[in-house]
Formats: sequence, C-alpha cells, structure tokens
Amino acid sequence: MIPSYDSATLRDLLEGKLPWSEVHGIMSAFKDPDRFDKMLEIHQSRVTWQDRILLPYGENLYIVQTADARRVVKCACGQEFGDYRQNWKLEALIRVRSSQAEIEELYPKMMAANAEWMQLREFICPGCKTLLEVEAVPPGYPILFDFQPDLEAFYEQWLGRKLPTGAST
Amino acid sequence: MEGGMAADRAVREPRILAIDAGGTMTDTIIIDRSGDFVIGKAQTTPEDESIAIARSAEDAFDYWKLPLRDGMGSVVAGVYSGTAMLNRLLERRGQRVGVIVTRGMEDYFKLERGVQTHLGLSYSDRLHVVTHRHSVPLVPKSRIRGVGGRVDMFGNEAIPVYEEDARKAVHDLLDEKVEAICVSLVFSYRNPSHEQAVGRIAEEVMAERGQRVPVMLSSVICPTRLDFPRLNTVVIEAYAAEPSRRQLFRVREKFRDLGASFEPRIMASHGGTISMEAGQLVKTLVSGPIGGVVGVKYLADKIGIDNIVCSDIGGTSFDLALITGGEYALKNDPSIEHFKLNLPLLELDSVGAGTGSFVRINPLSQRIEIGPDSAGSRIGLCYAEGKVDTVSITDCNVVLGTINPDYFLGGEIKIDRDKAIEGVRKQIAEPLKLSVERAASGVIELFEESLRQAVITKVLGRGFEPVSYSLCSYGGGGPLHVGGYTEGIPFRDVLVPAWAAGFSAFGCACADYEYRFERQMDLAIPPKSSAEERHSLGQRINEAWGVLSDEVHAEFAKSGIARSQVRIKPYVRLQYMGQLNDLEVASPVDRIRQTGDFEKIIEAFEETYDRVYARSARSPELGYFVTRLVATGIVDCEKPALPNDALAGETPSDSAFKAVRKIFWRTQTIDARIYQMEELRAGNVIEGLAVVESPATTFVVPPGRRARLDAHRIFHLS
Repeated sequence: MIPSYDSATLRDLLEGKLPWSEVHGIMSAFKDPDRFDKMLEIHQSRVTWQDRILLPYGENLYIVQTADARRVVKCACGQEFGDYRQNWKLEALIRVRSSQAEIEELYPKMMAANAEWMQLREFICPGCKTLLEVEAVPPGYPILFDFQPDLEAFYEQWLGRKLPTGAST
Repeated sequence: MEGGMAADRAVREPRILAIDAGGTMTDTIIIDRSGDFVIGKAQTTPEDESIAIARSAEDAFDYWKLPLRDGMGSVVAGVYSGTAMLNRLLERRGQRVGVIVTRGMEDYFKLERGVQTHLGLSYSDRLHVVTHRHSVPLVPKSRIRGVGGRVDMFGNEAIPVYEEDARKAVHDLLDEKVEAICVSLVFSYRNPSHEQAVGRIAEEVMAERGQRVPVMLSSVICPTRLDFPRLNTVVIEAYAAEPSRRQLFRVREKFRDLGASFEPRIMASHGGTISMEAGQLVKTLVSGPIGGVVGVKYLADKIGIDNIVCSDIGGTSFDLALITGGEYALKNDPSIEHFKLNLPLLELDSVGAGTGSFVRINPLSQRIEIGPDSAGSRIGLCYAEGKVDTVSITDCNVVLGTINPDYFLGGEIKIDRDKAIEGVRKQIAEPLKLSVERAASGVIELFEESLRQAVITKVLGRGFEPVSYSLCSYGGGGPLHVGGYTEGIPFRDVLVPAWAAGFSAFGCACADYEYRFERQMDLAIPPKSSAEERHSLGQRINEAWGVLSDEVHAEFAKSGIARSQVRIKPYVRLQYMGQLNDLEVASPVDRIRQTGDFEKIIEAFEETYDRVYARSARSPELGYFVTRLVATGIVDCEKPALPNDALAGETPSDSAFKAVRKIFWRTQTIDARIYQMEELRAGNVIEGLAVVESPATTFVVPPGRRARLDAHRIFHLS
C-alpha cells in the first residue's frame, strides 16, 4: 500500500510533535504522493495572509503568488523580500559577527572559529525580527544565494500540472 | 494443538514441559514418554508472567484430558524461554542502576558505539544516516561516576586506584537512590585488582551507611576484552536481568504450588539451559530463535547427520544456522537489538522475510518488494481481525490455493480468500497488468528465490558445498516454502519434521543443562618456544580452566547439584598469531600435563581451521595465540524421545486422503492431492503436487518431487 497521512499527522510532523517511532515509519516508507499538496494546505492555514503559497522556502519563508500576480519570497509575518529570483537576503536586516568577542558570545572560547578566517552573518526579518538564516563564510565573501528553484519545471515535470498564474484570491 | 503420533492413548505420561513466553502469546509444549506432544496457548500477562504460563499449561494438558495438577506432578523437566527480559530492556523498564567507570570515560552511554545507532534497522535504513538515532542511555550521566587510576593493557598498574574517588562515587550513587552499582574499569579483564578495590570500598561505604545494594564487577560478570560491550553486559545484568529473576522465581513458585517437583531451567544464548539462580541471568536475554537450532542438533545426533542447515520461517523472519561436524558456531560479540554485548550467542542469520512479510509495488521502479516489515501475528488481508491493509505473503498463498482457508490453524482462524484475491488484484496484479494468480505466484517465486539465495550464501559463504549438507526446515511457514527454497540446491537430504510448527519449543526441551564460563587470556605461543615457556603457559591455562570449572561447579551447587554429576568440558579459543579471528575448539585434553598436550590442542585447532577456511591457508609461521579459555559443565537431564513408528507401505491409507484441490503453480492450475498429516503412516510416500495439512502447518510437495515419511515422523523431501 502506498501510504497517505492525514493532515493532523502531517501538522504534528511539521511542528516536531510526532514521536520518533512514527517519524521513522514515515521516513522509511515510500513517499506519500499527496504529501506536497497537504503540506501546502497546512502551511497556508498557519499564515494570516491570503497570498497563495507556491513553495515552502525555508523556516518561516515561502514563495507566494501575490494579489498582483508577482512571485515573491514572503515571511510568515507578511514581510515581503521581493522577487524569488533575487536573493531575499539583500532585503533582510543583517548582523555580522566579525570580531572574536562577538563570535564568542555564541561559542565557548577555544571552541569558536577564528574571526580573521570566518564571520557569522545573521539574517533577520525587518517585520517580525525573527532570525531567518545564518551563514558562516570568510570575511569579504559575497552573500550566499542559497536556493533558486525552477518553479515551472517543478510544477510541470514533478507535480504534473501548470504553475498557477494570475492573481491570488 | 496436538502432534506427534496420532494414536490415542488411554493414559498419558507427560515428562517434559517447555514454555515459550512471547510478547503476545505464551506457548507451552508438553512432551510425553513416547515423544508425543501437545501445545497449549494463552495470552501473555506481562505484569505477572506466571498467570499466563499456568493458563497455557492448563490448555495443553486439557488436550490429554489431564487436570493441571496431575499433569504437573508427572513432569520431570521444564524449560523456559521468553522475551520478557528483552522487552524490559527495550521499553526501558529496568532498575535504577549506578555505574562506576574509569575517570574520563563517563560518557560511554552518550557516545556509545556508532553501530548502536542503527543496529536492527532495515538495510535501507542502515544506509540512510537520517534514520540513525542515539539510543536512550540505560543509565543517565547523573548516575555515572569516574574513578581515577589506570591498569594498562598488559595488566600492570600504571596509576594506583584513587580510593577517595571511589568512596565519593559510592556515596553519590547511594544518594541518588540506586538499586544496584555496576563497576567496569578499563582492562579489568587483565587485572581485576582496581575493580576489586572499588568493590571493597563500596561494601565499606554501604556498611557505614547501613545500606545494601548489589555491586557487580565486570571482571566477575564478563571478564573479556572490549570495554563498551562489557559495560553493556554488566549494566543489562543489573538493569533488566535482576527484575526478571524475581518474575522467574514467581513462575517457579507457581509451578510448585501446582504440584511440580522439577526445577525449571532457562534457555540461554549459548544453546544450553541454566538455572534461575544463575549468577549471570543476562545470558538468557536472547533465546527465542535458538531453540530450533538446538532441536535440529539433537535430531541430527539421533539420526546420524553431521552437517545440516537449520532454516526456520516464522511470521516475521527467516532464520538460518549451520551445524557442521555436529557443532554449531558461537559468536562472542553479538548485537542484540540496539546493544553490542559480550556474550556467547549461537551464530544465527536472520533475514526479514517471513510468511507475514508485506508485499508492495515500489512506485518508482514498479517492482515487487517484500518486507522488511510484516503483519506478524496479524497474518494478512485475509484475516479481518488482523486489521491489515497491505498484502502479505500468506495472502498470496491463500490466492494460489496452497493454504486452505477453511483449515488455517485447524480452522481456529477464519480466512477470507475473497479478501486476499481482492487485495492482490488491487495492490499487485493491476499495477503490474498481470492476472491475480500470476501476480501471487510471482510474489511467491520472488520470496522463495530470496530465501534460496540466503541459504546458498550461508553455505557457500562459509566455504562449504551444499552436497555435504542436509537441510532441516521448520517454523510455521517452513514446510510451506521448503520445496521452493531448496529447489535446485543439491542437498543430501531435506528434512521436514511433522511437528515443524512447535519445533522451537521442542528444541528448548532438547537443550543440555549447561553452564559456560570464559576468560580472556591473550597468551602467545611462539613458534619456537622452549619447553620451559610451554610449561609455564600450560600452568596458566590449567589454572584458568581450574577457575572456570570452579565457577561452573559453584553455579550448579546453587541448584544442589554435586560435583560428581557435572561433566566439565574445556575449550580453547585460538588463532594464528597476527590474524584477527579466533576459532573455538574442544580441547582434546582436560589439563596440560606434558608438552605433547600443546600439540594435541594445536592439531585440533588446525583441523577446525581447515574445515572453516582451507588447509592451504594455515599460517603457523608466527606461532599461535590463545584468546580465551572456556569451560562448560553439563548435567544430564530428561530429553524428548523421538517417535519410532513401525513402517507401513508406500501408499497412504484412504483415511489420509482428504480431497483434490486446484492449485495455481507457477504458470498454470494443477489438481493437487490433499492429505491429512496425522493420518499418514511411517513409510508413506507422497508424490507432488500434493499438500499435507495439519492444524499447525501446511507442507507442500512441489510437482516432480516426493516426500517420504520416516519412522521418526520426519518427512524427507527428494
């Protein structure tokens, strides 16, 4: 039997509330083919705005179809970061931990990186001030663009349907 | 359920009782003087096992119309095997244990061995790191204390033991209200003095405080190399074995209340049985699949077979073991569930394929996949009460007609053939665009092929030829598939005992009353050693054997058995110097008295080496290395008799013939003759395609093959 899980189970899975034995069972079974759509619904029910989620993009981040038919990266709080083909991090608040003292606020002495070789960049949502992402790179390194999905190909070739066009309702 | 010889007897004389207390059902097999047996069943009662055991025994005696008390009174030997201790461990319901280790090693359980994060998982889960998880520690860090000091790998004291550390550790642990203290220090198998010092201090502290908890030293419980498995073994003894011992005592009391006079023994992982009083009850942690192998060894001894493959198909797994030259192999560092342990365990391979294994189509490859999970006791779709939604191997057998839906467990369980057909159609046949019968027979072919490969690998992988082996098939599903998984393998003989379904319990009843103790030695025997060197080596070996046999005698003494009744057998575990794997050989001498005795032991080792590897692989250039010494002690006990029937003619009597049934075999429907197993007589020959039915099992004789029933009620499939 190809598995299928109810929405309550998937919501618990998303929120980390399922016991490990159940999570393990889901991991080991064949992938449930309706998982993506069910997860999309769950994500949609967890946000307060109306724009349609096209793809979960990271913790608290989504790619959505806006009322005026743009595809943008959006935080769960509603803050928008612009077109998903641009790096959303450029629109975020950035805190750079570039001194030894700043790094050692997080890591114990002798277990922390050398600030001359590595810095931590924390990307924070301007709307809700949630820490959305952290990158660890050498000083001067360009900001990383983590992930640019090919939405059209994913919808057409994987899900077997057209990417929704037009305004969200 | 009743088995053995079918003839009714006026008076039964039960002699042996063997209990298999599983997680859901408790089975009791009772064997009488002539080898007849009955199996009783009852739902397991985890809070007090003795209730279920008494009920299942009552159920068994009932078949022979014997009141429980009368039956119990005439039994002379009883063996228990069960999963209660293992379950206690897996469900983390053990005692509150405190642990003292060498300082700096306090994170044993947190770090554990990497392999423990994925032991027991399916093959694909073992490959995928995302499914690996650290085990919940048996003992939290708050009840682990380090003690300074160090013994090096040669057993020399490098740093004296810090007695103040030990004193404080014991105080701390007692403050933590521990119920037992385990002490495991590095290299204590080589020099136990530090552990003994800690043990002494613990006694002193407890005396001062007026408290008493058991203190267990690894150098006593398991003086062998590899400190993490050693610690696991000692901690499990304290954590799970001790509470189980209390349960077992309750079972014994119950038996006594019911008029039993025998001393119940427990199946241990080395293939012998031990008393409930045994110092190391942890040795009985795993006993389930071992019974069958012990039973085959017993059969093989009786009918004169040296080499035999043991194959057991249950609801969830296919277990394989080899008996070569009349002996099975023991493994020293077995993995049991999520634990690496230091215990002798009968070497047994388990494949996750049984009659309850689920069958699915992989949506990516469109191929049939079997297992690794299974319906187990829930049978399959065809059993409505099982509430299963996936096709199982049994469903496919029901579709093909090899399993009689009206005679599953003798008709005790209702099987719905239409449900099985419907399930196979929807889940297998339609996605693969096959007829229902062809799909089901394809699944069975695939299933049997995978078992066949496992059998071949087991034999060839050890460097043996199937032609020098026989094969014995048992377990509820063994006789059903034995034709398939032995097809084309040139075994000498294929044996199917008529009591295949109760064989594991029968096997437990065949086990010796046997203790086994071992000790790490690591003694080098250089290639050109002087007589003097050999003399001192010989003395150390004799000394160790002496200690080990004293340990054996001490265990038997707890059950009131005199030294004169115990047969001590010394063993040596040897390897060529520089090689990694040792072999266990029975020592041809009981003590080393002269230099020639060394040669005798080495000769025995090299003969075994030739058999396991090859004569040309002998490598004595660097000498030999004694890893461990072992002593076992055996006391005679009552064992089941094999039935010995008078031979009748080849043609089965009319009363044995039940019907003709249509069975789909591979690609076509064939008329199969159906026989009732209990009505067949010794000497009868069954030509395939035929099905021999009994309440507990179904034996299929494939087309072109024949099965002959011998005087011991064993079928020989040729």
